[in-house]
Amino acid sequence: MPAARKLEGRRAESPPRPAVPRRRRPSLSGPYGFLVPLFLLLIGWAAVKGGFGLADDVVASPGQVAGALWALVETGVLPAFVSVSMGRLVLGALLAAAVGLPVGLLLGLTRYGALMFEPFLRFLQAVSGIAWLPLAIIWFGFTDRTILVVIVYTAAIPVIFNTMTGVRTVPPVYAQAVSTLGGGRLRTLWNVYLPGALPGIVVGLRLGIGYGWRALIAGEMLAGKSGLGFLIFDARRFHVIDTIMAGMVVIGLLYLVVDRMIFGALERLTVRRWGVLR
Amino acid sequence: MDSAVEITLEDVGHAFTDDRGGAVRALDGVDLTVRDGEFVTVVGPSGCGKSTLLKAIAGLLRPTEGSVRCGGREVTGPGHDRGMVFQDLAILPWRTVRRNIGHGLEIQGVPRAERERRVAQFVELMNLTGFEDRYPHELSGGMKQRVAVARTWAAEPPVILMDEPFAAVDAQTRLTLQAELLRVSLLTTHTLVFITHNTEEAVFLGDRVVVMSRRPGRIKEIVDIPVPRADRRLPELLGEPGVRERADHILRLVREEVG
Repeated sequence: MPAARKLEGRRAESPPRPAVPRRRRPSLSGPYGFLVPLFLLLIGWAAVKGGFGLADDVVASPGQVAGALWALVETGVLPAFVSVSMGRLVLGALLAAAVGLPVGLLLGLTRYGALMFEPFLRFLQAVSGIAWLPLAIIWFGFTDRTILVVIVYTAAIPVIFNTMTGVRTVPPVYAQAVSTLGGGRLRTLWNVYLPGALPGIVVGLRLGIGYGWRALIAGEMLAGKSGLGFLIFDARRFHVIDTIMAGMVVIGLLYLVVDRMIFGALERLTVRRWGVLR
Repeated sequence: MDSAVEITLEDVGHAFTDDRGGAVRALDGVDLTVRDGEFVTVVGPSGCGKSTLLKAIAGLLRPTEGSVRCGGREVTGPGHDRGMVFQDLAILPWRTVRRNIGHGLEIQGVPRAERERRVAQFVELMNLTGFEDRYPHELSGGMKQRVAVARTWAAEPPVILMDEPFAAVDAQTRLTLQAELLRVSLLTTHTLVFITHNTEEAVFLGDRVVVMSRRPGRIKEIVDIPVPRADRRLPELLGEPGVRERADHILRLVREEVG
C-alpha cells in the first residue's frame, strides 16, 4: 500500500505535460555550454595567479574582478558607460547598414560591379578602422564623430561584401521566373534579390557588428571620453587592474548578448525557416 | 485573360559565343506556328536548342535572327502574357506554397480576397491541400513541380511555356504529373509549348509533336497525335490506333539525331 501511495503521490506531483515538446537534447551551444569553458577559465586564471605568485597590480584575482564589477555597477559608472557604448554601436550599425546594403545590392546586381570592386574592398578591409583613427582624430578631433566614423567604416565593409555575395548566389532562374509572371526590376529586387541575399546580409551584419564592436572599443580608448573602451584605458593610468579586467569581461559578455539576441532571433525567423541554411 | 493567342516563329536562328570563345549555332531557320489553344510538345536530343527556342518565346533571350511574335506582337522581353514553368528551383524558397502560387496575381495587383480564392482553387486542383503554409524545402520533388505549375496557371497567361518541368522527378510521379497537366490543360484555354527529351512524354501531352534535329537545332518533322487531349488516358494512350506507330516514328527520328 505505501508503495502504491508513493506512486500516486508521484503522479500527482509530476508537472503536466507541456503542450509544446521540449527541446530534445540539452543544447551545448546555449548558456549552459558557455558555463563550462568559463568555469575552466576561472580555475586556470586562479591557478596561474596563485602558482606564479602574481601580484594584484599585475593580475587581479577572479574575486577582485567581481568586486570591481560590483563597485562599477553600484557607483553607476558601468550602466552609464554601457549605455554610451551600446548607443554608439546601435547608431554605427544602423549607419553601416544604411550605407552597406544599397552599395552591396548595387554591386551584386551589376555584372561587372563585383569583379571590379572586390579587390578594392579587400584593400579597404585590410586598412582596418583602427588604422583610420589617426586621420579621423585629425579631421574630427577627440569626439564622438571620430568614434562613429571608425565604427561605420569597419562595419560597412563586411555588410557590403556579404550583401554583394548574397545577391550573386541567387540563382538567375528565380528572377527569370518572376519576370515571366510579369514582375519588373523593382519587383524582382524586392521579391527575389533582397530575400535571396538575406542569409548573406545577416552574416554581413553579424560580422559588421562584431568588427564594429572591436573598432568601437579601440576608438573609445584613443578618442573617447566615455564608454567601455575609455573605462579600461583610463583605468590603466591609475593601474587599477581589477577595473581593467572587469571592463574586458563586460565587453565580451555584452557582445555575446547582442549577438545572441539579435541574430539568433533573426536567423530563426527567416533563414532557417526557409531551409536556406541547411 | 485566358483567351489563348497564336505564336509565330519566322526563320528564327540563334548564335552565341561560348565560355571558351567558340561560336555556337544553337538554332537555325526555325519556322513554326503554334495555333491558339494548341498544346505543342518539342522533343529532341539534349543540346539541340529546345530550351533556346522556349526562352526566345518567353522573351528571356533575343534570338540573333528571325522574328518571334505572340498574339500578333513582336516579342521583345518577358511578360505576364507568357507564363513559364522551369525545370528546377524556380519557386521561391522564402515563400510558402500559398504565396508562391499567388505570386503572379500579387504582381498583377489582384485584390487579396480574389487572390486567396484563386490560390485555394489551384491548391485543390494540384493536390496540395494541407501544404498551403509549407515552404518549398519541406516538399517532395513532385509537389514542388505542382506548385510551379499552379503558380503559372493561377496567373492565367494566354501562353504557357514549360521547359522539361518533370525531368527531375521519378517515373511514377512523372506519370501522375503528366495526367494532372492534361486535365488542367483542358480547364482553361492556353496555348502551350512543352519542351522535353522524353518522346513518350511528348506523345502523351502534345496535340502535335515537333521533332528537332541536333545542333544547330532545326525542325525535322512535325507529327500529329490523332487522339484529342480530352479523350486521353495515360499510359493507355500508347495502345490507341495510330499512336503507337507515331510514337515509334518519333523515337526513331530522335535516335537518328543522337546516333
